[in-house]
Amino acid sequence: MRLENVWLRYHRRGPWVLRGADVAVDAGEAAVVQGRNGVGKSTLLQVAAGVLRPGRGRVVERPTRVGWVPERFPADQPFNVEHYLAAMGTMAGLTKAEARRAVDDWTERLGLTRFRQVRLPELSKGTAQKVGLAQAMLRRPGLLVLDEPWEGLDAASRELVPEVIDEVLTGGGSVLVSDHRGETVRLPGARRWVVADGVVSEETPTESQAYAVVEIAVPAARVAGTVARLRAEGHQVRAVRSEVRSGSEHPPGASDRFGIAGGVSSSGPEQPDAAEPEPIAAPVGSADPDGQVAR
Amino acid sequence: MTALVRLRLAGFLRTGRAVAPLLAGLVALGILYGGGRAQPAEAYGVSAVVLFPLLAWQTKLLLDVEPDGQRRLAQVVVGVPRERLAGLLAAVVAGLGTVVVALAFPWLVGGVTTVVEPGGPSVGLGVALGLWAHLLAVPPAVLLGALASRACTGSAGYGVAVLVLGGVGTIVLGLSGSAVPWLMPPIMATARATTGAVAAPTITLLTCWAVVWSAVALAGYLWWRRSRA
Repeated sequence: MRLENVWLRYHRRGPWVLRGADVAVDAGEAAVVQGRNGVGKSTLLQVAAGVLRPGRGRVVERPTRVGWVPERFPADQPFNVEHYLAAMGTMAGLTKAEARRAVDDWTERLGLTRFRQVRLPELSKGTAQKVGLAQAMLRRPGLLVLDEPWEGLDAASRELVPEVIDEVLTGGGSVLVSDHRGETVRLPGARRWVVADGVVSEETPTESQAYAVVEIAVPAARVAGTVARLRAEGHQVRAVRSEVRSGSEHPPGASDRFGIAGGVSSSGPEQPDAAEPEPIAAPVGSADPDGQVAR
Repeated sequence: MTALVRLRLAGFLRTGRAVAPLLAGLVALGILYGGGRAQPAEAYGVSAVVLFPLLAWQTKLLLDVEPDGQRRLAQVVVGVPRERLAGLLAAVVAGLGTVVVALAFPWLVGGVTTVVEPGGPSVGLGVALGLWAHLLAVPPAVLLGALASRACTGSAGYGVAVLVLGGVGTIVLGLSGSAVPWLMPPIMATARATTGAVAAPTITLLTCWAVVWSAVALAGYLWWRRSRA
């Protein structure tokens, strides 16, 4: 998807909020939109999502299916979570049965199961934000636009956002995400778009973006915590697989081996003295971290 | 798009916003039919005039129930043209429900007579003319309400102004002897036509008038929404 010389202002005689934005994101790529408050990050995202129409310029090659998670979910609606998500699913073109399955899946994944019968206005900010995320993912989008998706989420829930992003990227989609809190350190491979004074520029990394795959082994009971910690440190956890070792080679019981990509960019940790990476047998991103394979 | 129409209608009903125009409509119809029995066509012609501003108000309420953020989400999911069409369709469905109530009401309270006047239309024809008069009022009323909605006007004050000016203008500019009756939909002209024997050319003319007015109002609505996007 490309924004070609996009200009936008909210009123005919108002100031230009975006001036000649010219950026692109390819399939399978993520772009992080950064900038101070009020510089036009949300405006840029809304133009990309199709919510706002540019005054000049155009947006080309926007995927047919777009998922947009606004900064503030519009919770002032007389529906419960289940009804709302089912309606959004059918609006997105799913059949009723497909929408029901998608709602079951995403409410479970996002920890919304116990809120399914709760009315939207009664949700906390973080839970409403999760509903906003769920509605965007009911039908996997070709372009996912996330406007400050970490706002209001607790520490555990923040881990869900990179997971969702990774899922879209793995499926060949593109992701745009804005962030002013530094949470996007969790997306070390993403493009960086900086918005300042209405001008959007792409920040060129100052160091190599090369990655090394490091395979490590941890006791099975510590997999979830280790995966969460590694992701929080900016690593990409690509796969987890189980194996059983005997005697002195490793503590008793099953262990899990997983490959991580250690970033050497400015936002990632230092490259470890890694051994030669082994090929990872399990397919990347095909199951949950607490199952067999982590994304 | 059907899902979006259903969601908007559900929101309109669940928030209770539907109650106020319904009650107002029942009160207005009660006053209208409280004075005695009338021929169906004539009574329905006046009923359509009474309902016109109510239908426009009902449309504004229905479209304004949805938060702006949810309207934008709907645009992303179904696309801009379908989002706009879905709002109008939901308002038409709600309007048709009100028309059904308006058509049934006089029979429940004895507001119409089945005694046919010499030279007047039969009861069946009178009901058919009444249905036509109401159906003629629905599209212009829905579009007036849509033009008064928050998505178009951006503020409650301007919305009310559009609604009141449109409703009053339809009646005032539609009076006999008006210099510019075509500026407004033919609600008053239709009511006048139903008081006597209505000729087929009159029906055609009034129908075309309502269609053209609605088309112009629809174009204005879509243009205004586009310019505000």
